Amino acid sequence: MSFESYMNVLRFSSPILLLLVTYLIGHGIERRHLARLRAREVAHQRFPVTTFAVLPAGWQPTSSSMVSGSVVISLDYFKRFIASLRGLIGGRIRSYEPLLDRARREALLRMIEDARRRGFHAVVNTRLETSRLANARKDGKGTSGVEMLAYGTALRLHDPPA
Amino acid sequence: MRFEPRLPRDGINISQEHPLKEAAILIAGLTAVFAVLFGLVLVFVDLVVMLVPPSAEARVFSSWSAEGLDLRREGPRVEAVQALLDRLVRHGSDMPYHFRVAILPGDDPNALALPGGLILVTDGLLRAVESENELALVLGHELGHFHHRDHLRRLGRGMVLGVALAVVSSAAKTRLRLADVVGALTARGFSRDDEQRSDRFGLALVQAEYGHVAGAWRFFERLQAAGQGTAGVAAYLSSHPGNRGRIDDLESYAHEHGWPASGPASALDPALSR
Repeated sequence: MSFESYMNVLRFSSPILLLLVTYLIGHGIERRHLARLRAREVAHQRFPVTTFAVLPAGWQPTSSSMVSGSVVISLDYFKRFIASLRGLIGGRIRSYEPLLDRARREALLRMIEDARRRGFHAVVNTRLETSRLANARKDGKGTSGVEMLAYGTALRLHDPPA
Repeated sequence: MRFEPRLPRDGINISQEHPLKEAAILIAGLTAVFAVLFGLVLVFVDLVVMLVPPSAEARVFSSWSAEGLDLRREGPRVEAVQALLDRLVRHGSDMPYHFRVAILPGDDPNALALPGGLILVTDGLLRAVESENELALVLGHELGHFHHRDHLRRLGRGMVLGVALAVVSSAAKTRLRLADVVGALTARGFSRDDEQRSDRFGLALVQAEYGHVAGAWRFFERLQAAGQGTAGVAAYLSSHPGNRGRIDDLESYAHEHGWPASGPASALDPALSR
């Protein structure tokens, strides 16, 4: 086979290879992250986090502060490719779902860990916000990653729940 | 209200479908759609080209002089090739062009058919051919492209496909450019059929001129032996059929028509064989 033929084979197969490699790496990172998230959620299971602005009965706060946790997660090439095909024909962009789920849970956990480190007993009025971080391309299109921000009001209680 | 510690439910926000399965379905489906679309576009271009008479084509391209290619249009070598070409043209029916030959500098053995009836042969080709029969098959091949209007269709396909690819690629917003790959492969499938048809047309001219086809494809055999041939997947990706495939096809085509495979080789014009 001539050099040109090798180049042709390379030209047509390299995008597929890139997709496979980025899938394997991205999928591995995602699975490990999801497993770590679950373990941390179990560890913080007994720490109360609510979306209420009103306090549950019997809670007597002694002090409060705003706590927050934020995370930035990038898309991988594979997810972006699948999403771009979805962009042609429509439908659920399933490849982005785990990404946003991971971002939400990671942000909440960071907020909780911040609150616990500072000696608070609970977080109320919790809110989540998300924003596209930056453009992946110079033409202003494409997404390189998302930021997820979780914030709430942390409380120290007179008689914290066990 | 009492506080009861509970874990958030796991996995409700994540689809269970395997991402690779989704990727496979999307890629296969869209590939099929693109292939059909590009195929339709190419067939449409072919139909339109058939409606353009050669006289109109010659008028449009007569003012186009291939500037910037540094062509040689005069001299004993050009005249020698032109003389052979004129002899071949007499054997073909339906040849409404005024065919002209020009020599393109370059070592790569190659020949090109340009709109309006201009045939370019490279220096490398003139050095590589060893008999007039070999050069006649190459020139006949290019005449075949004119006969089937391939040169014009190629131009039309290139333009239309270029536009179609630009539209799809920008819509897909992807750097992989799946559509590019599909488009290139579709176009190559078309173009390989053209090459085979032109090979056969050229061989018919060689038979008409010399009364036998012996030695006509020895040039391709030398290329094949020199390792410039292609095989396997690479052969499909290439726009011309591999030299091995060409030789086989020419042999069986000559056999089918009962054209003699032995006969004397005609010497090249002295201006070419120095």
